[in-house]
Amino acid sequence: MMFPETLRQLTWVLLTLLSHYRRHPGQSAFMAIGLLTGVALWSSVQLINDHAKASYGEADQLLGAESAYWIRNPDGGGIPVEEYISLRLQGFAQVYPVVESRVLTTSGEVIPIIAVDLLALPPAAYGSGGMANSPLAGDSWLPFIQPGYQSWYSAELAERLNILPGDEVVLSNGRKMPPALIQSRSQQGFRAFMDIGAAFSVLAEENLSYLAVTALDDTTRAKLESTLPPNLRLVKNRQVLDLTQLTESLHTHLAAMGLLSFAVGLFIVFNAVRFSLLSRQGTFNTLREMGASVQVIGAAIILETIGWSLIGTVGGLMSGYVLSGVLLPTVAGTLQSLYGAIVESDIELGLNQMLLAWLMTLLGLVLALAGPLWHRLRMNVIEGRSGSLMWQQDERARMVMMWSSLPLFALALACFYRIETVVDGFVVLTLILFAAALVLPVSIQFVNSMVLNRLSRRNWKLRWAASDAFAQLPQLRVALMALLLTLTANIGVTTLVNSFRDALSNWLEIRLSADIYIQRTVGNIDTLAVTDGSEWRIASHQRTGVSTRWRGRPAIVQGVDVSAPDIVDMQLPEQLSDASAPWASLSVDPQPILANEQVKHLGQVALGETVRLESAGQQYSYVIVGFFHDYGTPYYRFYLPSDVVKQRWQNVRSEGLALWVAPGMLEMAEQTLIEKGIDPGEWIRQADIKRVSLEIFDRTFQITAALNSLTLVVAGVALLAALLAVHQQRLPEYAHWYSLGVTFQEWFKLVAFPLLLMVMVTGLLAIPLGWVLSWMLVYKLNVVAFGWTMPLVWSWMPVMQLAMVTVMVVISALAIVALQVRRRLPVALKQLGGMGL
Amino acid sequence: MRSVQVFLLLVLAMCFAVSDLFAADNYQLLRSSPAGYAPVVPGKNIQFPRDHLPHSAFKIEWWYLTANLTDDSGGEYGVHWTLFRQSMSPDEPGDSWSNNQIWMAHAAISTPEGHLYEERFARGGIGQAGVQVNPEGAFSGWLDNWSLVGHSSAPVPGVLTFTVQDKRIELNLNAVTPWVLQGENGFSQKSEKGQASYYYSQPHISVVGSLIDAGSEIKLDGKAWLDREWSSQPLASDQPGWDWLSVHLDDGQALMVYRLRQVNGKHWYSGTLVSANGVSESLSAVDMIFKPIQQASVKIGGSAARNLPLHWQLELPGRGKQWIIKAPRPDHWLNTTFPYWEGPVKVIDAESGLSVGDGYLELTGY
Repeated sequence: MMFPETLRQLTWVLLTLLSHYRRHPGQSAFMAIGLLTGVALWSSVQLINDHAKASYGEADQLLGAESAYWIRNPDGGGIPVEEYISLRLQGFAQVYPVVESRVLTTSGEVIPIIAVDLLALPPAAYGSGGMANSPLAGDSWLPFIQPGYQSWYSAELAERLNILPGDEVVLSNGRKMPPALIQSRSQQGFRAFMDIGAAFSVLAEENLSYLAVTALDDTTRAKLESTLPPNLRLVKNRQVLDLTQLTESLHTHLAAMGLLSFAVGLFIVFNAVRFSLLSRQGTFNTLREMGASVQVIGAAIILETIGWSLIGTVGGLMSGYVLSGVLLPTVAGTLQSLYGAIVESDIELGLNQMLLAWLMTLLGLVLALAGPLWHRLRMNVIEGRSGSLMWQQDERARMVMMWSSLPLFALALACFYRIETVVDGFVVLTLILFAAALVLPVSIQFVNSMVLNRLSRRNWKLRWAASDAFAQLPQLRVALMALLLTLTANIGVTTLVNSFRDALSNWLEIRLSADIYIQRTVGNIDTLAVTDGSEWRIASHQRTGVSTRWRGRPAIVQGVDVSAPDIVDMQLPEQLSDASAPWASLSVDPQPILANEQVKHLGQVALGETVRLESAGQQYSYVIVGFFHDYGTPYYRFYLPSDVVKQRWQNVRSEGLALWVAPGMLEMAEQTLIEKGIDPGEWIRQADIKRVSLEIFDRTFQITAALNSLTLVVAGVALLAALLAVHQQRLPEYAHWYSLGVTFQEWFKLVAFPLLLMVMVTGLLAIPLGWVLSWMLVYKLNVVAFGWTMPLVWSWMPVMQLAMVTVMVVISALAIVALQVRRRLPVALKQLGGMGL
Repeated sequence: MRSVQVFLLLVLAMCFAVSDLFAADNYQLLRSSPAGYAPVVPGKNIQFPRDHLPHSAFKIEWWYLTANLTDDSGGEYGVHWTLFRQSMSPDEPGDSWSNNQIWMAHAAISTPEGHLYEERFARGGIGQAGVQVNPEGAFSGWLDNWSLVGHSSAPVPGVLTFTVQDKRIELNLNAVTPWVLQGENGFSQKSEKGQASYYYSQPHISVVGSLIDAGSEIKLDGKAWLDREWSSQPLASDQPGWDWLSVHLDDGQALMVYRLRQVNGKHWYSGTLVSANGVSESLSAVDMIFKPIQQASVKIGGSAARNLPLHWQLELPGRGKQWIIKAPRPDHWLNTTFPYWEGPVKVIDAESGLSVGDGYLELTGY
């Protein structure tokens, strides 16, 4: 009998509590916006991360077909079609041919190409539909494999390259891509897909890039290995493992940015909750006075929280899904250019992600909503009716916040010296940022008091305005804290990106000093390397390389010509004092070696220490005499003199040829190349390669810029919500002022001055904090994550730009609030009159 | 009025259903317009060895072998191996990767333990598949490591070699009787609308060979049938498929009959009776009764099943012959790009109830 009665009571209490949102639709809107934006930004990043990671799991697949092994020609020259056919005729139907390359369009865009022979794909490639999906089912595939051919572009790639259906993209070698079709196969990623026949004609190529092989049992593998001609190698496809490992840091970075957005979104919710609390103070008291028990009200609050969490999850996930679709191409572009990971364009929303999003939202809400509500509820009825207590509480809260920031700072400092992983780094950053945010209210109070003290007693209007800050601060402080976090993140990340771009651009300048780079696939590269007395040729550098593994990760050992200009001029950030002399010598034991910075920071090897590399089944020791910058590569890389590499490794491949050309003779040099049978497109000019590199860089950091702007928007919304709340609440007060003769203009100055002052303090605090953040990102996190070091380049320009944007956001928010107040003031005045009666 | 509307809707729905059925049907290729390709006309003089080789001016072509074999202990085996050629366009074949010929091969082994099959594709021009007279002057038809290589410029006598999964088949094929030209001197009409193919066979192939499975060798011998057929449009638009049967009778005769099913029920019948010494006689609809008498449920992949006529009545009334054709192993559906049923059958004398021969049955378009 008790149960239905309690349920009835609960229903009424819940309806009473919820009626607040009906009366204040603006409140509900901000609550929803806070939840939605937070969940949307977080879940979009989460979705992208999950999606990318799932794609790595498919890295042993090639266009829907299994690719457990590769057959490669280690000298980089590709595989003649006859050698592939010979394997098929010997019964190795597990082997299928692939052509992969990049082409340059006349407009300077790089298009990666992948081509296979659809008819040779293993049957599993036809997908779940079985043979009904095989190439011979239907006839839509016919134009794909017949002369005329087709190039398939995913919708995202087509959009980026501005390609319409039917377009025949003109390439720098004068050839045309087959007519475009906007459609894609699984694992095509951001590559153009075509038939091998088409690719051979586009690339003017005759050899296959490599052969892919499906899973093999031990007997077949041994048989295949023994059947392979001596120039070919069967290599295990370890991409699933490698990609997961190599991209881990990038995903942690993204996840951290997503969490920051989530936190900022929660700040809006905090604000909304505080306001809804204040507004419902009377309701709680009345409910308690009417006999509703704390338990029933508590249950109603739990239900309200769950309700909001569901709204936040559903709406947030929906927006997050859309947003992830928008952001994915940039992330996928990064992953493809940096790691060679193929990420597909179709994101799927799984049950796990939905549950996780709901749990996150619920957790956030419990923090933001349930906690303070519960606290209010437990106050006794008389306390609840007292307004002045709130003011006192706020001052106390500011002090509590300041003191609680101290252990956070201390913890951050303690952790700082133990940063070993990216996650450690982000923990320290979070601690610093939140500690700083907790200090903000006291800092504002301090600055405000200082201003107040400096103002003469005659300047009463300004003094009044400065004092008004104390009235606004309790409501605004959370929004200002959110703003501080956003501005800091913005300054920090922008500085990181700018520093990186600067370092990369300087590095490219030195590293790419040759005028022409000839691709490694060019067959007669040896003959080109020989000095033939041409007057245009100043120098040349033919690099060689082998792929190996070091410390369980992919590594490249490159053979370089120690007298080539780019090696002579190479700047080593760290080297033994007499590095260059012994490095060039072949007779020293252990052989000196140069390593990229990744070896130092990720491989934890110091200058002067030895590394062991395996070649031809033997372990050789090398002593590291210098580290070189190697931006943008996730691999370990070592430089050894070409002769050493040739001596110790069997499968040395050509890594292309660099040519230095006499000033003004570039065209003559290119003419000579054409005469020697090299197609335009098989070499690339220095300017082009630099431009393309920087374009890839910019594309890589597009996601950062996008998340930065979005977070700033969220912080702006938080501030607007808080301002609306504070002024809505203070309307009766303004009505009093108005009745005392304060004009609207005077009112505006009174409320705008302290607000601007508070935002200014927040902004000023964000500058040193931003610097600390960028310092941490550049010198700590970046090193731990990618193994790259670079100097921090501080620039005031982005700070000024950010200040302008912030001022504009604040002024817009203020304008909206002013209009609201102006509209509502007459009503408030009427109510004031009523109260007087 | 309302009932008329419902009726019209039903008719419309059925029309769509039928057209959908045909649109989704991969056999549509065999019905598609032959425009631009060489036509199949009566009176052509089939010549050997020329016509053992591909006819790229025609749209489609096949080399089709079925064999009923037994091992030393009397265990029964069936082998079926085909090489299909298809032209993607009526133009000249073209070189290398721009070649417009596509090759498809099917191989299946029926053993007392079960049925194994595989399907493979290859494009022409790159050496992965083809039919030609090799530099040694021998007929050679191959796709990957599956091959039929003649001892001379003809495919038989010759050697058939292929693998299905981990099993390897190697069969020596021998024949002493002449090639049998089907229909009217090799012109084999397929419908009243004029669809036709060029068609000849070697029905009397004696086989000796082996099945090598995980290192152990099973010796096999028996009889095989090789069909050669090429056309530019073998099926009419109202023919969903065909039922084809070839048998070796114990008395030395060989018999082939088929019916091309018409949607209107007026099926197209044809056949050939070949004596032990290779003398052939054409059979038409009036000479035979060839009709299913029982359906059996056959698994066609996953949990799906289909009812197929695996039990037939075959009569040659003019010769007083009456047989029952039974497929002892129903599970021989090939879930390939062009899905069909193909498997060994027993020929039972309708009067005595005794087994009097073996053969192969092919059911398409179901």
